[in-house]
Parts: sequence; structure tokens; C-alpha cells
Amino acid sequence: MTVQTIADVVFGDEITPWQPDTSLQATRSFAEAVGYSGSGRFEDHGKARAQGLPGALVPGIMGMGFLTSMIHRWAPQGKIKFIDTVFRAPVLADHDHTVTAVVTDIDEENGEVVLDLTIQNEQEETRVFGTATVHLPAAS
Amino acid sequence: MTDIDDLRSKFLDLEFDRTGFVIDAEQSAKVAKASGETRAEFTDTTDPNFEACAPILASLASGRRLPIDFPTLGGISMDGGKAVACIKPVRPGIKLTGKTHLHDIYAKSGRSGRMIFLVSRMQLYDDCGEHLATTDSRQVIRERPDK
Repeated sequence: MTVQTIADVVFGDEITPWQPDTSLQATRSFAEAVGYSGSGRFEDHGKARAQGLPGALVPGIMGMGFLTSMIHRWAPQGKIKFIDTVFRAPVLADHDHTVTAVVTDIDEENGEVVLDLTIQNEQEETRVFGTATVHLPAAS
Repeated sequence: MTDIDDLRSKFLDLEFDRTGFVIDAEQSAKVAKASGETRAEFTDTTDPNFEACAPILASLASGRRLPIDFPTLGGISMDGGKAVACIKPVRPGIKLTGKTHLHDIYAKSGRSGRMIFLVSRMQLYDDCGEHLATTDSRQVIRERPDK
């Protein structure tokens, strides 16, 4: 499901859930690009465990990237004005996670939609949550 | 126990760091693609509307994490979250200046003790002084019981 204008958005709608690529290859690539690589915590399960972690992690801001990617697919004309993510618990690499969002407010006058965001693991435990404000064009 | 009101009165809203950045287009596109981004304005560096993605803005780090005279709170520090407010598109390759201040200090108490939250806010400006974006970094410190 995608929306093109603010008129397409329905209060309470859930954006189609998405399972992002949390593979070590993806986390390594991300960590290299943002300058987080080297310690192994995002690149190698063994090195991460040696640091007391349960395994290699998905960088927190990569979770933000998962959420913005999902919003951009849902609203191809949308502009994210604000996104806030709370890192509640580690997101483990090589584990399936589900990214979801729900419409919690619609401001038709200003063309803005507020979304509640979550990233959950296989046990349906929330690892990351947050909100986003997205600007959408008015219906023509 | 750390006096939160005292910290707030001494440190909030005072710029403690100013750092220059230039975002690399290829690096931003790589970050966007690794996050599953599909829109060309974030993944294709030849797109005329190409702009830096939110995670790369959130990755920009100030030279100092806290003011130079900020007291040591002890305990374990964790990355509690990030926020990005996009005011205007941030184009890779341009000179940016990040001005950082402590935006908020607050505490929450739970069964395992008190957690102190420090929110550092970086405002990003271009060479003309235009405000392009704001990023918040939320640092969480689990206070030691004896503090």
C-alpha cells in the first residue's frame, strides 16, 4: 500500500510491515560507511561476544534508516520532516526483525502525518520505537 | 545523588562545540542502500535532487560529547537514541558547521535505579549560515547507587 497525497492517508492505518536486511554483510557495509567499523561489534559475532554483547549488533542509526526507508516506500512523494528513534534494546544482526508504523495523527491543513514506529525482534519484543512527522502533498 | 536541576541551570543551551563537516555523496548513498532505501534522491549520486539521508546526518559527531567542565556522572553510558529534523535538503560536498549544545537533561527512576538522560543537540548550518537540519543524540547513564 502506498499513499500519494494527504487525502490518501487514513487515521490508524498500519504501513505494510517490512523485514529489513540485518545480515552481517549489511551491517558491515553500513558500519564502514558511517565510520563505525573496526571494533567488530557490528561486523563479527565472535568479536562482539568477546566485548560482552550477545552478538553482532545492527547500528542504532541503521534502525533509523530501516524506518525512513519504509516511510519513503509508503509515501513516494513524502518528505520526512522529523524522525525520533529510541534505542530501547539491542537489535541483533542475522536475526529477523519487523519494522512497522501506524498513522497516529493527520494534519490536513499543513499536509502532515504523524507515525508511531517500531522495530520488533522474532519474539515480538520492541527493540526500537519512535515517531516521525511526514509532509505529503495536498490532493490536486 | 546528582542534582539534575543544578546541571540544567549550569549547562543547558550553551554551545560547547563547533565542528566542520563535508558529507561524501558516495558514503551517504552507501548508508541509504544498506538501510534498504530505494528512492533515487538518496541512493543515486547523479540524481539532480540527491541529498544526504537521515542516518548519515545522525552519524555526524561533535568534537566533544559534553561540555569540558561537565561533571563525571559515573555509571554505564549508553546510546539512548537519535533524532533528526530536516529543515532543508543537505547536499553532499558542501561545507557544514555543526553547533552543539545540551538541549535537555532529565532523570527517570525505575526498579534498577535512576537513569540520567543527556540530550545533545547539533544544529547544522551551511556556509551562508542557513539552518539545514538539527540532530539530537540521547545519551543514557545508569547512575551508580552510591552517587
